[in-house]
Amino acid sequence: MAKRIRLEKRIVSESDRLAAGLARRFAEARVLVVNLMSSPGAGKTTLLEETARRMSGDLRMAVIEGDLATDRDARRILKAGIPCHQINTGGGCHLSARQVADALRQFDLGQLDVLFIENVGNLVCPAEFDLGERRRVVVASTPEGDDKPIKYPVAFHKADCVVLNKIDLLAATDFSPEAFRQFVRGLKPSVPILELSCRTGEGMEGWLTWVRTERQAAARGTPRGCD
Amino acid sequence: MHEVALAEAVWRQVAAEMGRHEGRRLLAVSLVVGCWSGVDPESLEFALGLLAAEGRWPGAAVHIRTEPLAVTCRACGCEFEPQELDLACPSCGASDVEVVRGRDVRLESLEAE
Repeated sequence: MAKRIRLEKRIVSESDRLAAGLARRFAEARVLVVNLMSSPGAGKTTLLEETARRMSGDLRMAVIEGDLATDRDARRILKAGIPCHQINTGGGCHLSARQVADALRQFDLGQLDVLFIENVGNLVCPAEFDLGERRRVVVASTPEGDDKPIKYPVAFHKADCVVLNKIDLLAATDFSPEAFRQFVRGLKPSVPILELSCRTGEGMEGWLTWVRTERQAAARGTPRGCD
Repeated sequence: MHEVALAEAVWRQVAAEMGRHEGRRLLAVSLVVGCWSGVDPESLEFALGLLAAEGRWPGAAVHIRTEPLAVTCRACGCEFEPQELDLACPSCGASDVEVVRGRDVRLESLEAE
């Protein structure tokens, strides 16, 4: 006789399990791990270069770079003065928890305050894969258009901080900062929106303050779900 | 986008559950796919079929139900299903919400004989 077995259990993938393990390691080491995502060309690497130049004197930082091909970004980060490990995903459209776990062999977490993971430039897939990070940052930029948040709602809804880069180019575009803020707030009212230009340095102080504050919370061992 | 890995996880979980019901034959698997899970139900069904044919349950049927996004308002506690990405609470107007359903994939039930 047929029997129905009621379960209502969430499917837990291997990737979820690995990410939970990474999150525990990061919490034990009290290191702030930030997963940085954006479309290609929004300025993730430039943001990290500028962050390295301005903060490497106060904080011990490192970067894991994710790209389909080349080590161009890793070379830029190394030139900016902080350790970096490049992952080439080949055809992979996002970084996986497995790749991050492998990359961690290059670093001593106990000797780091902040680890940035620069995900593959893509606003779709990276949003679906937890890497054990403490915070998620989405970088948008003015030439991409102000409607990115509502076109890629999951990435923005899951973000702990939204950086709007290239505000120095505002006059050359039809981008409306007001519309952008409204779209983001509609998806996540409480998320900080930091408007800046990595090129001119305008607004960078707000970003550095966010990193410092988050780093202090991580160092205190505050659980990752709490502010 | 990444339904094959998910299909593997589904069959692994099904195997674990069937281990508790030794001697029974699996007839059907019912899954719920949240519309904000990032999973395409058609691709998942295709991947599940491929892996089932190669695995232990070649004849098992797969039923997939999609689940709309549901949120609760942090301000007034009202639960609602947002339309057209409008996350503002229909009751109090606040838009500070918590997702309660629609973001994950669940194994709802199995049918076995």
